[in-house]
Amino acid sequence: MAIFNLKKKEIECKVVFYGPGRCGKTTNLEYIFKSYKKQITGEMVSINTEGDRTLFFDFLPMGLGKIKGCDVRVQLYTVPGQVKYSSTRKLVLRGVDGIVFVADSLEVRREKNMLSLKDLQANLKEYGKSIFKVPLILQYNKRDLADEGIPLMSTEQMEKDLNRQLKVPSFAASAVKGAGVGVTLKACLMETLKSLQREFKWAE
Amino acid sequence: MNISLKIKSLLNEAEVYRSQGLLNEAREKYQAASGLITKIDKLKNKDSLLRAIAEKIQFIDKKSAKTGTAPSSPELSEKGQDLIKNLFGENDLEKAVALAKFGQFERALAEFQALLKNEAYRLEAGKNIIRCKLATASLDDAVAQYQQWFSQDLFSAVQLESIRVYLQPILDKKGFGTPLPVPVGEKDDADGIEFSMPEPEEEMLDITSIGITFTNGTHKGKMVEFDVNFQSGDMLSLIVAKNDRGMIEDLNEGDDIEDVQFYSPIAMFKGTAVVATKTAIQSGPKQGDFCLDLKILTA
Repeated sequence: MAIFNLKKKEIECKVVFYGPGRCGKTTNLEYIFKSYKKQITGEMVSINTEGDRTLFFDFLPMGLGKIKGCDVRVQLYTVPGQVKYSSTRKLVLRGVDGIVFVADSLEVRREKNMLSLKDLQANLKEYGKSIFKVPLILQYNKRDLADEGIPLMSTEQMEKDLNRQLKVPSFAASAVKGAGVGVTLKACLMETLKSLQREFKWAE
Repeated sequence: MNISLKIKSLLNEAEVYRSQGLLNEAREKYQAASGLITKIDKLKNKDSLLRAIAEKIQFIDKKSAKTGTAPSSPELSEKGQDLIKNLFGENDLEKAVALAKFGQFERALAEFQALLKNEAYRLEAGKNIIRCKLATASLDDAVAQYQQWFSQDLFSAVQLESIRVYLQPILDKKGFGTPLPVPVGEKDDADGIEFSMPEPEEEMLDITSIGITFTNGTHKGKMVEFDVNFQSGDMLSLIVAKNDRGMIEDLNEGDDIEDVQFYSPIAMFKGTAVVATKTAIQSGPKQGDFCLDLKILTA
């Protein structure tokens, strides 16, 4: 849940990058850390002690400056994607204000995407939130692998699989190259802030 | 696609998946390529190709085994632990609980030990020490800890009984022979606290929040939702802000609450609870707030 300090006119919100294991959540954050220096207000912390697999979470604080008279700070998190870290995912998701669901475009990961989205829905439900109401953006990552001859799902297929009911904004991306990362984040922040604005009515 | 192109494509896919850490997918592609190669009779370097693929599969299997057997919550650096504390806890108790939830039991244990000095957090710290001991050490250690407290006067009899009620069912379930000594004393004065039917911790769902329908006071007939800050078995602790003290003014220790809505990650259910303790927090960032301990009676 966002922290809104009415006196200081400060708002701090939480955006979580969710998705199946190895879909590129940490890569998204790494790119944001490298490319948005002005907005980054601290170090990116990756708590991963098992090679390059995220075991706990990644954390990156950002400052968006003043928006409608309010100083907006954002905390970006990733969750561990592997199925066995379910309790950590749930812990990190607590109090989330906006979500980027990073889906893997590889054909072989089709089922994992759907299972992870279901897992997100279940975890949100446990916190009394509906996946249909929470600010959510879908990102179809790893589009660059088509150039290497790797079978990918078409974005239409992915829309059908993941976004048929949700009907949320979605973006094709290649986090490793940075393509689509900024636009995904921007869309998520916009949705999140719109939602918080409705909740806290700070801009009225 | 001719067979050599098909093999090339499979090997390419396998390599990409391996580089992405998608070990199962990589193994499948290597195996498919190996199967195709085996079927070709007049392939010059057939044996060396199959050997190379077998080595790749072996490497993947080793890596998979390593990943599979790695501890799910390895010990983090102090910096990592500090981050968990700061990001997932508001007060000292929540910070220590966050450490425990992320499997950082050693540090959590040290922090809970320090919190024993704080009257407002003592009971919860004690229960969490037992929880950490059960997670990291053994039943014997947990029992030894309880017995040490039993022989001291750190906890009141009511608090000690609350800890016993948490620990005893776990011991019973694991077939631990000797029952824990039951504290006597001020417990008798605490009307209405029912400890005779303790539920083992494992059997109690994780309750995230509860809704209380008030039967008297200014909120009569209304259901008010409270977040559950801590849970030990069937004991729930709520922190009620001083501004909301009016809501719990009519709730006193020993009062039964007949209509409670429990929200757990798995299910939502109705039940009853009893107010075990109601304590004003005397120090720390939550000074002036109230800590309300509710024991679930039926759910």
